[in-house]
Amino acid sequence: MRRLKFGLIVAVLLVVVAGAVPFAQRGGYSNMSYSGNVRYDGRFTFVRMSYPWGRGRGAPWAHDYPRGEEHFLKIFSELTNVQAHLTESSVMTFSDPELFKFPIAYMAEPGYWYLSTEQEVKNLRSYLLKGGFLIFDDFRGGGEWANLDLQMSRAFPEGRWIDIDANHPIFHSFFEINSLDIIPQAYDAGRPIFRGLFVDNDPNKRMMAIAGFNSDMSEFWEWSDTGYAPIEANNEAYKLGINLFMYGITH
Amino acid sequence: MFDALFRALFKYERLVFEQGDFVLGASRSMWLTATIVAALALFAVWTYRQLAAVTGRDRIVLITTRTALFLLALFALLRPTLLLKVAVPQQNFVAILLDDSSSMRVADENGGPRRAFVEDQLGRPDGPLLTALGKRFVPRVFRFSTSAERLQSTADLTFAGTGTRMGDALNRVRDELSGLPVAGVVLVSDGADNAETPMDEAIAGLKAQGMPVFAVGVGKERLTRDVEVTRVETPRRTLKGTSLVLDVVVTQTGYRGTKLPLIVEEGGRIISQQDLTLAGDGEAQTVKVRFKAGDVGPRVFRFRVPVQGAEEVTQNNQRDVLIDVYNRREKILYLEGEPRPEPKFVRQATDLDDNLQVVLLQRTAQATVSAPDKFLRLGVDNGEELVNGFPMTREELFQYRSIILGSVEAAAFTPEQQRMLEDFVDVRGGSLLALGGAFSFAEGGWGGTPLSDALPVVIERGTMKPTYPPIELIVRPTRAGQGHAATQITDKDDEAAAKWRELPPLSSVNSLRELKPGATVLLSGLDEKGREQIVLAYQRYGKGKTLVLQPQDTWIWRMHAKMDVEDKTHHMFWQRLARWLTDGVPDRVMVSATPDHVQKGEPITLTAEVVDPEYRGVNDGRISAHITAPSGKVETVVMDWTVEHDGEYRGRFTPTEDGVHKVAVDGAAKDGKDVGRGTANVRVAPSDAEYFDAAMRAPLLRRIAEETEGRFFKAAETASLVDAITYSGKGITVVDERELWDMPIMLAMFLALMGGEWMYRRSRGLA
Repeated sequence: MRRLKFGLIVAVLLVVVAGAVPFAQRGGYSNMSYSGNVRYDGRFTFVRMSYPWGRGRGAPWAHDYPRGEEHFLKIFSELTNVQAHLTESSVMTFSDPELFKFPIAYMAEPGYWYLSTEQEVKNLRSYLLKGGFLIFDDFRGGGEWANLDLQMSRAFPEGRWIDIDANHPIFHSFFEINSLDIIPQAYDAGRPIFRGLFVDNDPNKRMMAIAGFNSDMSEFWEWSDTGYAPIEANNEAYKLGINLFMYGITH
Repeated sequence: MFDALFRALFKYERLVFEQGDFVLGASRSMWLTATIVAALALFAVWTYRQLAAVTGRDRIVLITTRTALFLLALFALLRPTLLLKVAVPQQNFVAILLDDSSSMRVADENGGPRRAFVEDQLGRPDGPLLTALGKRFVPRVFRFSTSAERLQSTADLTFAGTGTRMGDALNRVRDELSGLPVAGVVLVSDGADNAETPMDEAIAGLKAQGMPVFAVGVGKERLTRDVEVTRVETPRRTLKGTSLVLDVVVTQTGYRGTKLPLIVEEGGRIISQQDLTLAGDGEAQTVKVRFKAGDVGPRVFRFRVPVQGAEEVTQNNQRDVLIDVYNRREKILYLEGEPRPEPKFVRQATDLDDNLQVVLLQRTAQATVSAPDKFLRLGVDNGEELVNGFPMTREELFQYRSIILGSVEAAAFTPEQQRMLEDFVDVRGGSLLALGGAFSFAEGGWGGTPLSDALPVVIERGTMKPTYPPIELIVRPTRAGQGHAATQITDKDDEAAAKWRELPPLSSVNSLRELKPGATVLLSGLDEKGREQIVLAYQRYGKGKTLVLQPQDTWIWRMHAKMDVEDKTHHMFWQRLARWLTDGVPDRVMVSATPDHVQKGEPITLTAEVVDPEYRGVNDGRISAHITAPSGKVETVVMDWTVEHDGEYRGRFTPTEDGVHKVAVDGAAKDGKDVGRGTANVRVAPSDAEYFDAAMRAPLLRRIAEETEGRFFKAAETASLVDAITYSGKGITVVDERELWDMPIMLAMFLALMGGEWMYRRSRGLA
């Protein structure tokens, strides 16, 4: 009888753990870097930044994960000659020293982002100043922008976001995006706004981070194989994504 | 003592035996007598062999001594004679060449200056050596330093000459005495020749005219107490802001173990200082000196060590060198074959250097059936530059001074482009750095291509797969890399070792194993298994140089978590590597001056190498050199094509004022096209060369003497100088016979043999 009871407990635990893994991969509560992350080998790896989230449901940083990057990586490697890990990606936090081996990182829903330790604040500043590049996507509304601004200002008190238009080289780093009007909107009203954070707040110097405010390009990546959005819209979202990542790699 | 004993035994000086021809002067009757003596010797031998009482060792000893006696007698009877050609007194000239250079002031000849010997022995009419020579010959006295002329009076000897052109002086004497009977040339010098021209021509001329040189070496062959800045190895030109790492060679005697500073000054201002402990006597000690080339223009840097107590020569404790510091942006083409972060970080580093322009051509998509390769261009001068991708013509490619080749496969280039890459190094004289990556080296199919011939490592044929996971390499400088300008990651030498230890490992997906002969490894890496791997290596190839840098991600030295955001190691590494890449890369007009440092009134030969945009020599051009003196006076010299080499032009000018002269060469090709402009600088100043390597150079003087059939003497051993000239056999001579049969040693040997035999017999009871 005791043995049966022990067996039931183990079985229940196994079910819970097995269910927790995909949940965690969908966001969960953790903001830890995953042990299943891609080990650095010089090839391009899609790095998604995570952050603490304790309000239930899927964590915002995991929106569109993992289908968004899986689809993007396929298109990215198909259209460019980037040497990339196609079937795997990484999830990291700013406290993870391994992040510094991947100079381009992506964050979804920065409106809910929170730098939980001073080490993260320090690492974020160091990462970007050394040459890292951060892409913020999938956020909207005054509150969400205010949160991004607040978190970034903790690392860059002197930092100032600067609006950029279609003339900026980032929109021409691979595809020629001559108007921001072509960028599709999944559900956001109005047009997307792109802002950059530059070294010394000088738009002629290196851009360290770009925020695609009022926009959600990874939403299109995620559902691009379903017919949820028109092919043209998906194409534009991929073009934008490729340009942002190509810029991050090359500039 | 030895000579006196020799003369007592052999009747004549050694010199007579050395110069004379040995003959046997016996007449017919004496030959008959000699034959009888020989027969008697044989009879004596036969007799001893027949005697029963004399056996074994006794027989051998007695036969030997008796035979020796007969042979000695026989030798005397054959009338041995030396035939000597003796100069007829007062019928021959002797040229006396006196070194009048300032090195003759060095006080190392018997406690006094070297000049004292010249002044005492030859510099005045009643000098003992001059008098002795005058008794047998007609002396012609010359002085020489940078020039040579007849000595009119002793007052002409100043010992202030700033150079020693011994070959020119010997040529001058030969020309002046040509056609006259000359018994010999007496060359009195410390041998400190500092002419640019070799001595061979002068020696050959003297040999052809049968003028033996009797060289008298003044001074010590090795100074007792001296510290000398022997050599400073500097580039003629350097880019503004370059951190120079120069080799300074210091030599000393008498101060081993002494600690002193090696100071670099410019205009009296100390710009660098390096402590050193002096090595063993006579040992050339190389000291690495670091300093940054400052303002643009010709700069004169002084390298000096403080004068030590009791030094015999103090003027050689410093050396001045001229370096032309130029200012421009050196253009480097960086071709990257895939989107990866390495170029971005390289450009971040080099963009901080105003004198570097790294033009990036980064392939972002590979060609398809319907579209060519897609490139991202950064750092270009205009919209047309590299618009069609990698240059298709030499003219377009050769405008860059260096090429960085990233991760790009050989198949991305046409065969002609691959040849252009090799020619870029070989013909144009540029430098090429190949970086590691998934498409580099053998992994990119580069084995067997023209470029693989040029690289400093062996590239295997066939396409290999990149290694995943990559090999981690802990990078350290090799011995060569520690002092190399390309691998300085700190400004201070003593901080470098700690900094290298701090750096995180890099990774490599390539397999570079074998270094080519003649290549140098500057950085090596230890992999996880403790094996040594090539990280950075280079070699000269043709007119240029090639390098390989195996890791795929030097940017880790910038980004790694443990590297502080303020750390400049990665920046410094790439800035210095890129500067070294462009260092020494020729322009279309290259000017050099020989020598690059002269004194007023000395001619300078200017050489210009002029090439077209494809770096082929431009012949038959109208090329001129414009020399601007410090006063502003401009002199134009027409330069003629040498015909010996394509594109090589020469001209000469003689500066008339001290200071740095600026030389600018320009002109037009045969078809009227402008060839561009090249510059050089020449420093005109009193020379201090006399005080370097200032010990008496006996080997040079001995060589001149022996090759012209003369003799070498030290100043203190000139007693037989006059006889040596007398018996040299040159000039007007008579044959003098010196008989040898009556040499005292003959009698001594005769008596010794007789006495020896008698004593032996007595001791053996055979008397």
